[in-house]
Amino acid sequence: MVHIGKDTKSRIISKGISAGKSNSTYRGLVRVQPKAQNSRNYTQCDSLLIGSYCGAHTVPYIESANSSAKIEHEATTSKISEDQLFYCRQRGIGEEEAVALIVNGFCREVLQELPMEFAVEAQKLVAISLEGSVG
Amino acid sequence: MVKDHKESSLPLLSINSLQVSVESNIILKDFSLSVSEGEVHVIMGPNGSGKSTLSHVLAGKDGYNIIDGKIDFNGEDLLSLTPEERACKGMFLGFQYPVEIPGVPSGTFLKEAVNSVRKYRGEAEYDAMQFLSLIKDVCKTMDISDQMLRRPLNVGFSGGEKKRHEILQMALLEPSLAILDETDSGLDIDALRTVANGINGLLAPNRSVILITHYQRMLEYIKPDFIHILYEGKIVLTGGMELVETLEKDGYAGLELDSAKKK
Repeated sequence: MVHIGKDTKSRIISKGISAGKSNSTYRGLVRVQPKAQNSRNYTQCDSLLIGSYCGAHTVPYIESANSSAKIEHEATTSKISEDQLFYCRQRGIGEEEAVALIVNGFCREVLQELPMEFAVEAQKLVAISLEGSVG
Repeated sequence: MVKDHKESSLPLLSINSLQVSVESNIILKDFSLSVSEGEVHVIMGPNGSGKSTLSHVLAGKDGYNIIDGKIDFNGEDLLSLTPEERACKGMFLGFQYPVEIPGVPSGTFLKEAVNSVRKYRGEAEYDAMQFLSLIKDVCKTMDISDQMLRRPLNVGFSGGEKKRHEILQMALLEPSLAILDETDSGLDIDALRTVANGINGLLAPNRSVILITHYQRMLEYIKPDFIHILYEGKIVLTGGMELVETLEKDGYAGLELDSAKKK
């Protein structure tokens, strides 16, 4: 994200999901150029871990050449808990469906910004790529 | 499998000398209970007597070692079933602490749950419109607004909202056995009445309820058939409302549990 002009605003929301033995890394550069007076950036990085052998890493790069810029970065890491899975299963939802449901909840903020047909596609993709990731 | 008359007279749930430990602590020992269709059983007991362990073991939560004993549900070996199979076969657990699932609107969760159960039973799944009309009436009885169905499941719900939402789920899933773990704790009088009405609305000759509670208040609305006192992992007393009256007056000391246990 490069801010060139004055009063420019940007927002980055990153959602990373790690399952099995995978690691996910977010690297994002936010650069504010000298003339970008009063520019603002907000970056939010959320990571979701499925299982105990995966990891998530967040590496924000911030380069500001203008002292009036405001640049924010927030990061969270959460895990699908046994209790959440048990709650879903107690209501009759199978383990894989439960994971897909929780993961889709996690990505909802991003998916709901997509046009309808992409959102549906993305949801199904998430479900397929998580198949067999539990247990 | 064709059921004959003998089979249908079997109890819905029968627990035989169940022994359960968590890590190395034995929580339930020699626990037996039999629940027939249409009966309301109340289980009371001091803190740490094993009430919640019982509800978790019945629903199939991990982390409990079943050392000994047998549980039959509808003539099937309950312990060999997964939690979702138990749910689809008609067992419902009302959680003492309902779990939060961020980002998943509670309406979406309800539809997913109802459709999973319907699919398992070989029934057609509901589409969004059918589901909305189904849920409308139930929401009204449980005092739950449309707006609440759009909020993420249990996230930021008040204590009363969580418990009303549990009963809403129960009403939608129409279980044959509902285990309600302290569903009356932390409710104000109006919410208690709403929850009790919801439970009463579900009672039918082919449905049974196990109510785990600490208080008499709920029993002013729901008439139990049996009251059991659980103490140190075992049912030491079974009776009617007179047990509750003694309890309210003298506490667990009044029941002389230690001497009851030896009998």
